Amino acid sequence: MSMTPALFIILCSGEHEKIQMAAMTASVAAVSDRPVEVFVSMNALALFRKDFDKKCYEGGDFSNLMQERKVPDAIELFQQGKMLGEMKIYACSMAMDVARIELEDLMEELVDEAGGLTKFLSDAESGQLIVF
Amino acid sequence: MSKRTTIDARGAFCPGPLMELIATLKLVQIGDEIDVLSSDKGSAIDIPAWVGKVKHEMVEIAEETDHWHIVVRKIK
Repeated sequence: MSMTPALFIILCSGEHEKIQMAAMTASVAAVSDRPVEVFVSMNALALFRKDFDKKCYEGGDFSNLMQERKVPDAIELFQQGKMLGEMKIYACSMAMDVARIELEDLMEELVDEAGGLTKFLSDAESGQLIVF
Repeated sequence: MSKRTTIDARGAFCPGPLMELIATLKLVQIGDEIDVLSSDKGSAIDIPAWVGKVKHEMVEIAEETDHWHIVVRKIK
């Protein structure tokens, strides 16, 4: 088992560029023997819905380029990271409450459970925390 | 007898070539080699960095006109 401190990612932006960066960071860290935990909240939560349409990424110029040139899809990167490495993904309970999203509305192969910020922050004391 | 598998990842963007390499490593035997063809310059840096971190073995990096050969041996 790796001795590298785990990587804790808070993902709350709905912007394609930030989502893509978070997906790349999470998946590459996970396949590089580094445990990853992702806390998904606010606008990013919609990405993990079962009915999310990959044509609906919203962003700026770079988002348009990424979609044109067909870079690896963010959701697929999260899936690969989970399959090939150690990654846990929590859906923020607060965001689920506010947006009236149930756990069964979210992709079960990606979202492990609903979670709270307090516990996530406490766990993150053992590692490194970044926010998108 | 070790085998060499080729992954043609030319045209694929980061981290596509790395992810394809990792998925293929799961399928081959210890001692086998994987030759990743990549047009993404970052892969020529990132794949050796990953190999060093997880302790497989770099066999060769060769630069062609419009792509790289990045050859990795599965050690474990």
